[in-house]
Amino acid sequence: MAMGHAEVHSDHHPGPRQYLVVGGVLAVLTGLEVGAFFLNLTSALVVFILLALTAAKFVLVVAFFMHLRFDNRLFLWLFVFPVVVMVSTMVALMALLDTLTR
Amino acid sequence: MWAFVGSDVLFFGTLIAAFLINRGKGIGPHEEIFDIPVTTLSTFVLLMSSVAMVLALAAIQRNDLKGLRLWLGVTALLGAIFIGFQMVEFTIFAREGLTPRTNIFGTTFFTMTGFHGAHVAVGVVWLVSLIIASYKGHVTQARSLDVEIMGLYWHFVDIVWIVIFGVVYLVGALGAEEHHASAISLVG
Repeated sequence: MAMGHAEVHSDHHPGPRQYLVVGGVLAVLTGLEVGAFFLNLTSALVVFILLALTAAKFVLVVAFFMHLRFDNRLFLWLFVFPVVVMVSTMVALMALLDTLTR
Repeated sequence: MWAFVGSDVLFFGTLIAAFLINRGKGIGPHEEIFDIPVTTLSTFVLLMSSVAMVLALAAIQRNDLKGLRLWLGVTALLGAIFIGFQMVEFTIFAREGLTPRTNIFGTTFFTMTGFHGAHVAVGVVWLVSLIIASYKGHVTQARSLDVEIMGLYWHFVDIVWIVIFGVVYLVGALGAEEHHASAISLVG
């Protein structure tokens, strides 16, 4: 690879205190997920809440623990592109095979 | 490492897609056998292992070797506990009649979670080898990138589980409950 990780690495990483705060938020979001699961709400609403909370946890880990918020944009695209391809393929397959709403 | 993570996104994405498009197919146990409180606990363990991993990185970046070993050890221990949870879960499912050969749900579920567990196991071995390397003087502040790359792998394993827990376990078990309720109302 022409451009090594160290060459494009940013030193503006969070400190231990910020890591602990993010860890606490992740724990709370997991608690909310389970709470939503056991609530007597309509299933469409619960699925929406669960997917939103899952996405929030995913973004927090990627942005702060994997440092994508602070690193070079090349790494961001190396990660985001396959994620977009995969999610699009997944939704398209489920729609084609009629399993999206099951 | 980012190129590897990108390719592994496609790998796990394919396994999750295979699971989702085959939901509810085949005779035998399905999502109703999930134990959500227990899986929540194992999810919490894996999330906290990610916190320990970033604390290990922060430690080596300030040249704190003791802190590095402590947090790498905590990360490896929590990873091993997660694998233990998964082994217990697999054993219970097998006792209740769900194996990879039972139905398409079992095949896709065990393939997806089994590959994830294998990734966690590889991560634990990598963490232990980093601890050993630190005692031999191979892990230093100047070479903290080695720890950061290990961390990228570990956090990737964590985000894959975040998706599996949310989409497969919670949403899946919710669908199974609804299916069960509608079956009861039809009988009633």
